[in-house]
Amino acid sequence: MAERPCTWTCLPYVVLRCGHDADVMFDIAPDHAIGLYAGLLALPLALIAIRLRPGRRGVAVTVLGASVLMAMAGAIHLALISTHRSEPLTALLFLANGAGYIALSFAFTWRLWRLASATLLIATLLGYVIWIAIGLDSPDQVALAAKLLELTALGLVLVPARGERVKHRSWRWAVLGVALPLLTLIATSTIWIVDLARPDAQHSHAGAVLQATNDVATPQQVAAAAQLYSDTRSAILPYEDWHEAWAAGYRPGGNLGGSTHWVNQRYVDAGYVMDPHRPQGLVYANTKHGPVLIGAMFQMKHIGQFGPDPGGPLTAWHQHENICVSPIFLEFSLMTPFATCPLGAIDISVSPMLHVWIVDNPKGGPFAVDIDPEVVKAIDRA
Amino acid sequence: MLLLMQALLWTIAGISALPFAIAGEVFMLGLGLASLLLALATCLLAIGILWRRNRARRWAMRLEIACLAGSLLLLAVPVGANHGPVAWMTNVALPVAVIVLLRKPREAFS
Repeated sequence: MAERPCTWTCLPYVVLRCGHDADVMFDIAPDHAIGLYAGLLALPLALIAIRLRPGRRGVAVTVLGASVLMAMAGAIHLALISTHRSEPLTALLFLANGAGYIALSFAFTWRLWRLASATLLIATLLGYVIWIAIGLDSPDQVALAAKLLELTALGLVLVPARGERVKHRSWRWAVLGVALPLLTLIATSTIWIVDLARPDAQHSHAGAVLQATNDVATPQQVAAAAQLYSDTRSAILPYEDWHEAWAAGYRPGGNLGGSTHWVNQRYVDAGYVMDPHRPQGLVYANTKHGPVLIGAMFQMKHIGQFGPDPGGPLTAWHQHENICVSPIFLEFSLMTPFATCPLGAIDISVSPMLHVWIVDNPKGGPFAVDIDPEVVKAIDRA
Repeated sequence: MLLLMQALLWTIAGISALPFAIAGEVFMLGLGLASLLLALATCLLAIGILWRRNRARRWAMRLEIACLAGSLLLLAVPVGANHGPVAWMTNVALPVAVIVLLRKPREAFS
C-alpha cells in the first residue's frame, strides 16, 4: 500500500521533499517549500527593519504594510533561486523580482515609490499568469501565497491614505477599483483553468487525489485486479433490484451527473476494507426506468488512509479534497485557488474510495474514478 | 483595503459556485448569490470605515469575528479542510489583521 506522497504545511522541509511529483495548487511543491520558510522568516525581519527606519513616521500605515508584504514576496522569490538553478531564465526572473521587491520595501520614502511598486507588482502578477498559462510552471500553495501577498500589497500601494496630499486622488481610486479586481479575477481564473486542464499524475480530476502506485501493472497485479472485479461484480449483482439494496441498508445520496451513490452507513462505520460482499456504496444510473446498477464503491473509514491496492495502478484509490459542501442542501462545488468556498458551504475532504464499474466504461476502465457520462446517458436511452 | 481584498475573494467564491449551479447543483446558485451579496456588503462596510462610521466599524468587527471563529472551527474539526498556507492567510490572517486594525479608539469614528 502506497501512502499519499505529499502533505500540507508546518512540517519540516525534509518531509515536504518526499513528494517529488506534487505540484498542483492545493499542495506545496517540494522545490517551492523553501520559499514558504523564507517568506515567514522575512515577516519579523521586515517589521524590525521598518521600526529601525526613522523615515517611517512620515509615511502612511498602508505604505508600511505594503513594504512588509513586498519584503515577504521578495524573500520568497529569492529563496526559490536555489531550487531553480537548472532553469536559468526562471532563476534570473526570481532574482530580478526578489531584488526589486526587497529594494522597494526599504525605499518607501522615495518619491516614485508608488509608481515603481505598482509597476513591479502588476508586471509580476501578469508575468506569473503568462508563465503558468504557457506551461512553464504549475500553481502551488507557495506561488498562490506569494500572489495573494502581491495582490494585497498592490491594493495598499494604490489606496490613497487619509491626510496624504495626493495629486491624482480620483485616478488612484479608479485604478484601485478596476485594476485590483481585474487582476484578481484574471489570476484566479487562469490558475484554476490551468490546474483543471493540466492535472498531474496524482490528480485525476478536480478535487480527487490518486493513490501513489507503480507506473505499469505487473502480471500479478493485472490478475489481482481481474479477480477483484469478478468477485465484486458477482457479489453485487443481486442489488440490480434496488429494493434488495434498500433492504440491505443502502440509501441514496446526492445526484452526481446522472448517477446516484447509495451508501450503507453500517458498512462505512464498520470499516470493512475492500470486502466485495460488503461494499460501502452502490452506484445507480438514474434512468426513466428507475435506478440501474452500474457499480460498487469501497470506502475507507479515515481521511488520508488509502486502502489495499492489489492491482497497482489499475486499482488506485482516490480521495476527494477541497470540496465545498453545503451541509444544509448537500450540494457541492470546488474550493477556489485562494481557499474560499461560497457562503454556507464548508471545505471538506472525503475518505479514500475505489469504484468498481460493472458496466463497460471505455474512457477509464472498470476501476476509474468516474463513470463516463455518455455511458450513463446510453443506459438511460436503452 | 483589507476588507476590499476580502470582498474580492468572496466575489470569486460566489462566481465559482455558478458553474456548479448550471451543472445541476441548483442550490449552489443561491449560495453563490449570497456570497456575492456578502462581498457587496463587505465593500459597503469598507466604504463606511473609510468615512469613519462607527456603525460600519462595529459591523465589520462582528463579521470578522464570525469569519475567524468559523475558520478556526473548520481548521480544528477533522473534516479534511485545507490547512495550506493560503487557507491560513485568507481565512485566519486576513480577519485577524482587520480586527487588529479596527481596534482603534472608538473616538476615531463618528
